[in-house]
Amino acid sequence: MEDIIAAAPPLPPPLPPSWAAGMPGQVGPVRTEHRFEFSGDAKEYFRIWVVNLALSVVTLGIFSAWAKVRSERYFYGNTRLAGEPFEYLAKPLPILKGRLIALVLFGSYVLAGQFSWKLQLGAAGVLALVAPWLLVRGAAFRARYSAWRGINFRFVPDYAEAYVRFLLLLIPTMLSLGLMYPYVKGKQKAFFVEHHRYGGAWFKFRATPSQFYPPYVLAWSVVVACLLAVSFLGGVIAIALIGRNGEPPPEWVALVYVVPIYGTYFVVWAFLAAALSNLVYNHVDLGPHTFRSTLKGHRLLGIYAGNTVAILASAGFLIPWAKIRLARYRAESLAVLAAGDLAAFRAESRADVDATAAEMDGLFDIDIGL
Amino acid sequence: MTESFAGTYYDGADGAAHAVTLRRVGVSHYALEGEGIRRGGSIAGLRITPRLARVARTIEFPDGARVLVAHDAAIDAWLPRQGRLEAIVDRMERHAQAVAVAIVVCAVSLGVGVFWGVPWLSDRIADAVPPAVERTLGEEVLDNLDHFGLKASTLAADRRDALATRFKKLAHDAGGDDYRVLFRDAPSVGPNAFAVPGGTVVVTDQLVRALGDDREFDAVVAHEIGHQRHRHALRQTLRGSFVAIVAAFFTGDVSSAGAVVVAVPTFLLHSHYSRGFEEEADRYAFDLIARENESPHWFAAAMNALAAKRPERRGHVSYLSSHPSTSDRIASAEAAGQEFAAAHPELCPNGVCPGEEEKDDTCDDCDDEDDESPPTSTENLSCDKPADDDDD
Repeated sequence: MEDIIAAAPPLPPPLPPSWAAGMPGQVGPVRTEHRFEFSGDAKEYFRIWVVNLALSVVTLGIFSAWAKVRSERYFYGNTRLAGEPFEYLAKPLPILKGRLIALVLFGSYVLAGQFSWKLQLGAAGVLALVAPWLLVRGAAFRARYSAWRGINFRFVPDYAEAYVRFLLLLIPTMLSLGLMYPYVKGKQKAFFVEHHRYGGAWFKFRATPSQFYPPYVLAWSVVVACLLAVSFLGGVIAIALIGRNGEPPPEWVALVYVVPIYGTYFVVWAFLAAALSNLVYNHVDLGPHTFRSTLKGHRLLGIYAGNTVAILASAGFLIPWAKIRLARYRAESLAVLAAGDLAAFRAESRADVDATAAEMDGLFDIDIGL
Repeated sequence: MTESFAGTYYDGADGAAHAVTLRRVGVSHYALEGEGIRRGGSIAGLRITPRLARVARTIEFPDGARVLVAHDAAIDAWLPRQGRLEAIVDRMERHAQAVAVAIVVCAVSLGVGVFWGVPWLSDRIADAVPPAVERTLGEEVLDNLDHFGLKASTLAADRRDALATRFKKLAHDAGGDDYRVLFRDAPSVGPNAFAVPGGTVVVTDQLVRALGDDREFDAVVAHEIGHQRHRHALRQTLRGSFVAIVAAFFTGDVSSAGAVVVAVPTFLLHSHYSRGFEEEADRYAFDLIARENESPHWFAAAMNALAAKRPERRGHVSYLSSHPSTSDRIASAEAAGQEFAAAHPELCPNGVCPGEEEKDDTCDDCDDEDDESPPTSTENLSCDKPADDDDD
């Protein structure tokens, strides 16, 4: 998921986070701040969501492609920059085709995993081989059908580079026991940002991979410290209980370990997501313009935690509310610092991309830990 | 009549936004006017995005220029009809009753899908899987198990043969002539038995040692044969896969702390399905050993013996568990045992079947390992002399 956040640079609604502290007032041209505004409404979106979900269910999933388009259009159309809304222009049919292929691929991957680690390893290998291609196609599809002020975004595919950054670089990452992970992450984000353009203008990425180390090192340290503390305390409690009558410890002792560990991951993950998003956005240029992202880890954590509880407690019926809330916070936290006129962008010629990869990308974002 | 709509015009060449008025000219032509902008033509070439809540509608010109206008019913009446399907969906989204129906449809299909749909669909697929495929999958599973903690059995060969013979007889009577039993030493797993897809039942040495009477062994493997007869391993696998796929679609959507939101319901569902299979296998075991003229009481005896080795923990939450609680299973087995005794007075004089004679004995040094749900039988290996009636 975090990858998707980074995968879509300054695109509309499913908009990524970031944090501004890294770049206090720049010296240079006079800049006008334009904040992203989000005007989506949970009640209004709930009606769209529930009707489209019901239709998808009744049609055994076929309508889900139309549902996706309506949902995306709602979020894009309610996101504004400098008063002008974003537009989502994709058509449902290519998305439907993509969903079917994704279902088959992902279905066989899951099935393989149930029976044998060899089969699953094979399936994972195949996925790893196609993943960079899928990521590129997905980004290209999304960009191609995103527009603002009548000008489309575009992602210019570079498959060779994608395979280097999303496949080859995994080898040194593993050999270094993950120490190279932040570096690779930085290279991957740079890849996505720099291959995007808006009309005739390229996005530029100013952050170096080394800047990805502080957030990761901090996150790792907190996780390790918490694991140590929890193991120690949990062990003490378990031993204390065993001591009594020699009985095995009651089942809830497991919770002493599990709950704090999950809690730690959850908290660290939210703060890390905020820090990385801020890092990425605060180092993106589009022509003379820059971005400022001011996501706060604790606010993001509050939203994620609230969303999780609300979704579980409502058997999923608060998903629309959760999505709106998250989109609003992300939009509010992002601004363009414009140097000059935002209307001065020029268009460029178009290229077509089919939807297959965009959909597979969306489906697999939980499984491919690139 | 003239209809006109205020909108924002982008020519597609640059990002400038122009305030314009789109006006109807005659039946089939339009005129667009704004400061420094003037164009007109036939409406046949225009495309308009379907209505969606308060989102601005985009009218696209053949050359890529666009006008964004607020929704207005007159526009739909005037411009060529497009996206009829989405027009219907839009009406439903704005219609209170349709939304109410949609809520009911979603809630009902969630419940039906989870409790009947996924099981039904996976079972149909399971029916279509040829036994040969299932056996191949079983080999893979066995291979995995042997990689992770199972070692060659340390039981004496004649002991293994004797138990395997008992297994063969049960399997034959259950209609599973090609079923086989394998013994494995598994200190890390402890006393356990599992049904691998394709007819193989794996029994750990630790289980054999934990059981006192061979009829307890019969009861345990009858349960595993029940899993085989009902192809539970394959069916559970398919159900798990469906749940994972559905969950993946949802995480893609929810994009908030995906892991927990999906993991909790997935875990609960998995346990729910698994409990159903365990209960089914238990019932199968009761029937099968009753057909062998052995009392289902032996199942309770086996559970008690295992509970002595691995006491059920306190604070056991049955809803979270993949198995029904041991005390419930023992109670069911004892109930089935009493039915058996009633149905076979010739085998069980006065309702006491062979092997149950010592039922009312009290053993003083038995420690009560579970005071919340005491076992219904006091029979317990830890204080029982090995059963002396070794007849078949």
